[in-house]
Amino acid sequence: MDNTALFLIIRRLRLPMFVLIVTFAISILGLTLIPGQDDQGNVYHMTFFDAFFFVSYMASTIGFGEAPYTFTYPQRLWVSFSIYMTVIGWFYAIGSIIALMQDKILSSQLAILQFQKKIKSLKSPFIIFVGYNLLTKNIIHKLSEEGIQSVVIEKDESKIDEMVLASYMLEIPAMHGDINDPEVFQIAGISKPECKAIVSLSSNDNLNLHAAMSAKLLNSKVKVIVEATHDEYADNLNTIGIEIVENPFKFIAKRFYMALRAPSLLMLERWIYDEPFKLDPRDLLPTQGKYIVCGYGRMGKAIRIALKRAGMEYLFIETNPKKVRQMREGDRQIVMGEGQDRKILLDAGVKDASCIIAGMNDDFINLSIIMAARKINPSIFTVARQNNIHDQSVFNAAKIDRVIVVQNLLINQTFIAIARPLSERFLQMIKNMGAEWGDGLAMALKEVIGENPLKKETEIIDKHAHALCRHIKEVGPVPLYVLYRNRGDYNLNNKIVALYLKRGEEEFLMPDSSMELQLGDKILFAGDDEAFDDLEYIMQNIYELHYVLQGESCEVSLSCKLHLEA
Amino acid sequence: MNLSNVISGFFIILALTTNFGFFYGDPTILEEHSKYELFAAIIFNLIATIYKLGDKTQIGAVLLATSLVADIQLVASASVWALGAYVVGMNPEIVTAIISLSGGALAANIVSVVLFVGETIKSKR
Repeated sequence: MDNTALFLIIRRLRLPMFVLIVTFAISILGLTLIPGQDDQGNVYHMTFFDAFFFVSYMASTIGFGEAPYTFTYPQRLWVSFSIYMTVIGWFYAIGSIIALMQDKILSSQLAILQFQKKIKSLKSPFIIFVGYNLLTKNIIHKLSEEGIQSVVIEKDESKIDEMVLASYMLEIPAMHGDINDPEVFQIAGISKPECKAIVSLSSNDNLNLHAAMSAKLLNSKVKVIVEATHDEYADNLNTIGIEIVENPFKFIAKRFYMALRAPSLLMLERWIYDEPFKLDPRDLLPTQGKYIVCGYGRMGKAIRIALKRAGMEYLFIETNPKKVRQMREGDRQIVMGEGQDRKILLDAGVKDASCIIAGMNDDFINLSIIMAARKINPSIFTVARQNNIHDQSVFNAAKIDRVIVVQNLLINQTFIAIARPLSERFLQMIKNMGAEWGDGLAMALKEVIGENPLKKETEIIDKHAHALCRHIKEVGPVPLYVLYRNRGDYNLNNKIVALYLKRGEEEFLMPDSSMELQLGDKILFAGDDEAFDDLEYIMQNIYELHYVLQGESCEVSLSCKLHLEA
Repeated sequence: MNLSNVISGFFIILALTTNFGFFYGDPTILEEHSKYELFAAIIFNLIATIYKLGDKTQIGAVLLATSLVADIQLVASASVWALGAYVVGMNPEIVTAIISLSGGALAANIVSVVLFVGETIKSKR
């Protein structure tokens, strides 16, 4: 623990206290030496106790009068001198002590001590967030509803104050610090075994890279989730072994492609993100006709990749000549000009285009592009990028067919990466599957489970699957399909399907139901409430497991029977 | 030469010497012990204590502890004196208590000085 500043501050108390003691000592000594007169007129000397008593109330300006006897003039002379000396000494000491209490360094040291205490007492897994912004705010909110603890490191103190006002379900410890100092990560508990992940979603790639690197060096076991919108940074991050690098524009490209060519995969992805298991017509893009895209920045590039892969006809409009040149090197489908300019839009062929995408990084330019395009071609499908979450109401009022909020994608992705690791891997794996595969899975899910399937992640460990673990250890392997069986009648199957199974480093997408389960397997299921209920019972309860395995109630004890009948 | 070391060394030694000056003499006869010497011992011990505040090192912590022990014993000695003089009256028990309390403070001060000197010798210039 480093509290050098605390010691420096205590050191600063030395002089005021020295002054206080010396002034008191001189006054007391003087009073005991100067002869006085008692009420009978005899000469007397004040004792040290008398003098200490008198000086104590004199110096603090309480003033009870002359004690024990009325003073003589020589005594009064000394007292009037010592009043000024001790009162000044006293005020100086008290003033410095109070000033120290309000000292910024001291209070920040105390805040760090308090923060450290909170981190030390954290017994559950926690996530460290670097920077508190709208994105992390939403993620922390979602996580705290799941009961996952977060810790925040923020450079700007006013944001920490703001955080205190946002009431979360859990208390979120926040620390004021700059991650350029590796000590800050240590204080935030990065080396604690409970620390599961570091999240850095700053819009500044450089800062994210920095956070990721120091986090990985300080604790190689920790999962690092960072945003990187430039490819060079993403490459850097991959070389140092960061698992999860999030590029929101890549997500957008992927989603565009899926909306065009593999809608069922898009539906599955949205379902994993806790959205309903169906597609709105608004979620789909016109699969024919020409696309006009305004803005060839990071988002434009991503969209171009998606459109190219999907084999669509497209045309870009860009204001920056440098970017136009850059694109022209490989592709001539770009014109220079302002996207909201009517003439440019007409030249680009908005009249018979099927879709316009406003992908600039300014919300109001995007809105005006959409307005202008719609005036020329009222039936055009409109897609706009919304940069600022606060502009929600304006975008709603504009009745745009599809609004892309970059931040929302990041929030969802980060949330599942932390709270639903299996779903995250599942998503990674399905994105390489074709449209037919996705259609098949979506159909199968609807057929087996119904219109509204739920998801559940579970792990074959003693905590979640006591009975199953015992059976595997003592009796023998259990195939996966046993978990599908109905608790009421073992011949019937519940509405449940395993989507993904992780065994150590091995991964199985749509594992075969005859697969034998092993200890430590992690499985992602899709199913309904009833099926998940049964699943939990079968995994935990020895008697339930026995029944679904053997098809008969075990004849062990009365309590077992009672349990089954009930 | 570090001036603050001179000052703190000065007060640490002075605390010991004034303490010894008060303690020296027949422990049953109060007249052999000057009240002014006790006063000086208390003041110098307090000053020595504040000069030991805020030292981060291990030796600094132990020095501060010895000084606090000496302070407590000397203040207790003065309090017993005031109690004897004003409340219960002087008797041989009170007198020996005053002197032996200051003797305890003397022991603490000796430890403090030994540590201080040891620390000085250990540091190579």
